[in-house]
Amino acid sequence: MAKTLTQEFVKGLWDEVPPFRLVLGLCPVLAVTKAVENGIGMGVATTFVLVCSNVLVATLRKVIPSKVRIASYIIIIATFVTIAELLMQAYTYPLFKKLGIFIPLIVVNCIILGRAEAFASKNGILRSLLDGLGFGIGFTLSLMALAAVRELLGTGDLTFWEKPIQIMGPWFQPFSFMVEAPGAFIALGLMLCLMNLVGKK
Amino acid sequence: MLEKRDLLEQQTPLEQKKLIVSHAPFYHSGRRVTERSYHTMLAALPALLLGFYHYGMPAISVVCLSISTAIFWELAFNLVAKRTITIGDGNAALLGLLFAMLLPATTPWWAVITGTFIAVVVGKQIFGGIGSNAFNPVALAIAIMMVSYKELFDFDTALLNYDLEFATIYPLKAAKYFGTASLDSFNLVDLFLGRQLGGIGATFGLGLMLGGIYLMLRGFIRWEISLTFLAGVYLAAFVFNLFDPVRFAGPGIHLLTGYTLIGAFFLATEDSSSPVNIIPMLVYGAAGGIMVVLIRNIGAYVDGVVLAILVINLLSPLLDKIRPEALGKVM
Amino acid sequence: MREMIKMVIVLTILATFSGSLLAAIHSKTKDRITNQILKFVKGPAIRKIFKEASNDPIVDRFDIKDGDETRSFFVGVFEGEPRAVAFETFGKGGYGGEVGLMVGIDVKEDKVVGVGVTTHAETPGMGAKAETDPSFVAQFEDLSLEDPFKVTQDGGTINALSGATLTSRAVSLAATEASGIYQKLKPQIEEKLKNFKK
Repeated sequence: MAKTLTQEFVKGLWDEVPPFRLVLGLCPVLAVTKAVENGIGMGVATTFVLVCSNVLVATLRKVIPSKVRIASYIIIIATFVTIAELLMQAYTYPLFKKLGIFIPLIVVNCIILGRAEAFASKNGILRSLLDGLGFGIGFTLSLMALAAVRELLGTGDLTFWEKPIQIMGPWFQPFSFMVEAPGAFIALGLMLCLMNLVGKK
Repeated sequence: MLEKRDLLEQQTPLEQKKLIVSHAPFYHSGRRVTERSYHTMLAALPALLLGFYHYGMPAISVVCLSISTAIFWELAFNLVAKRTITIGDGNAALLGLLFAMLLPATTPWWAVITGTFIAVVVGKQIFGGIGSNAFNPVALAIAIMMVSYKELFDFDTALLNYDLEFATIYPLKAAKYFGTASLDSFNLVDLFLGRQLGGIGATFGLGLMLGGIYLMLRGFIRWEISLTFLAGVYLAAFVFNLFDPVRFAGPGIHLLTGYTLIGAFFLATEDSSSPVNIIPMLVYGAAGGIMVVLIRNIGAYVDGVVLAILVINLLSPLLDKIRPEALGKVM
Repeated sequence: MREMIKMVIVLTILATFSGSLLAAIHSKTKDRITNQILKFVKGPAIRKIFKEASNDPIVDRFDIKDGDETRSFFVGVFEGEPRAVAFETFGKGGYGGEVGLMVGIDVKEDKVVGVGVTTHAETPGMGAKAETDPSFVAQFEDLSLEDPFKVTQDGGTINALSGATLTSRAVSLAATEASGIYQKLKPQIEEKLKNFKK
């Protein structure tokens, strides 16, 4: 059953891609995917936290007593989330303002605690690093995909670094339902349906 | 065993669900879905014809486009999902027709096509086809289109270029923004005879009522739902009107304008999204009627009928928990 | 017992490590964050108020101690002399809590140059118009500081935003408070402005 290092990395990209396969971490998936830019920002911040916490948990896995492991993981994760928050505030303030409360909420994103508990606490540093990286990138790509669908249909534009790029042409009537909250659920449902359709073969 | 189950799940149309049981009561009319669809379309005809008379060619083209695209989406989804082709049962055509009846006659083609896609695919087929939808597909489609394209449903501007023999202002909008004084030019008989602005087939009160009564007599819809829905509207509007007659229109106006009548007879009564027991049906209808007036009078939207129907659709499975206790018990 | 001690030690070390790491990063990023907030939150409001100023008011600022608080004043240079300051106050009673308001005051003539809403949690499309609708804040321009600012419903001159009387009231309150602070600190402000000329 032992997987190669490449497999550890790749599994988070497709086979176990968090929002679509494991259906985990849906709060940010639904809430911030109004624009591609937000999706990327959220994904990168989550990846940073995931990789750092995975590495640290794997390093300390023999030291942490099992009775207080969850508390220790939360301390580790919360530390990295706060670091991410401070860094975003200092360097990408407009993005930080848009993501708002969802940056501190990365702490309770179950992908991160889930990977710490299910993977990093049982595996070596290198494997945990690759696992975190794979899941993080998978998460980022899923957010981007969902955000792209929603933004394209909802506004006709795709936003990268503050610049909306018009894709659909002037004939397009923005279907603004997609960038509203209920549109997020419907878009996610259709996306899951598509993933199952593709993955079932 | 597992394979067999998978096979069963893949072929979801009604006739294959032999072993799936839902609780009583069942209303058996001895008829099939097809008949039901065509009778409902027949019942909608009087209101539709008056719409054609008022709005002419554009109204006819909206209705035709809506029906044909609804059938097309159903066929397309059947093919993609590898299910039995169900366009023959007429339900898709009925959805298309009802959807078009709620639209203003000048609705552009792309909005009609998007709307029927939402109604047929998102509203009905994704849940597993006819009989499995949680929401009324037409109400869902109209609500989503209303959220996305508010300006399309502004009947004043949408029907600006029509030269009709009656006042060309949308009564509900006038009541909401200019108070009841602006409604003096309307009289209830005119409204009842469809001499008002609105959706293609949603304004002709008499026609809708005749259609509704026909459906009730034939046993296609339940009178409990329609009547309590209207009673809910009437009572709630009456209370509001009593409280502040300057701001809130009277019950007659609320009953005869907007989507109230078409909602009561054709949308709220849709079978799979409404309750099956008597008391739940009464509660369901009344809750819907009260919600309509609440949204119209203190909500953000001019007409709340489709939104109210979606809310009561949500309540419907909960309401169905109110039922007589079963005799005997399972050991 | 040994396990207990181990738990306590591990958690303490983790918490200490985490705390010190965060403290270090916080102190490293503090100035940058203040600058970013100035640039993206207060900056646009100040620039709008001092649109004809020849300097960069965000760079030219000074602090004055007011009791326990330290207030930042942004200097606007008009026609070669620093004659106006802008500072932020908060008006209570908005629909979504306090409303932050940047108020620019002409020191020579004791009148408002302009105001701009900075932070708020008002309803989009209703109270949030205070930030986006220029005609609302434009009503404050050139008003004298002698009378308190009030919306018309309260007997003042400010026409409230339709559907957002609470927000409009909070903005007026913030402006009134600003004029109070200004009158209290005026000697110090003039002192600072004199030094600024050099």
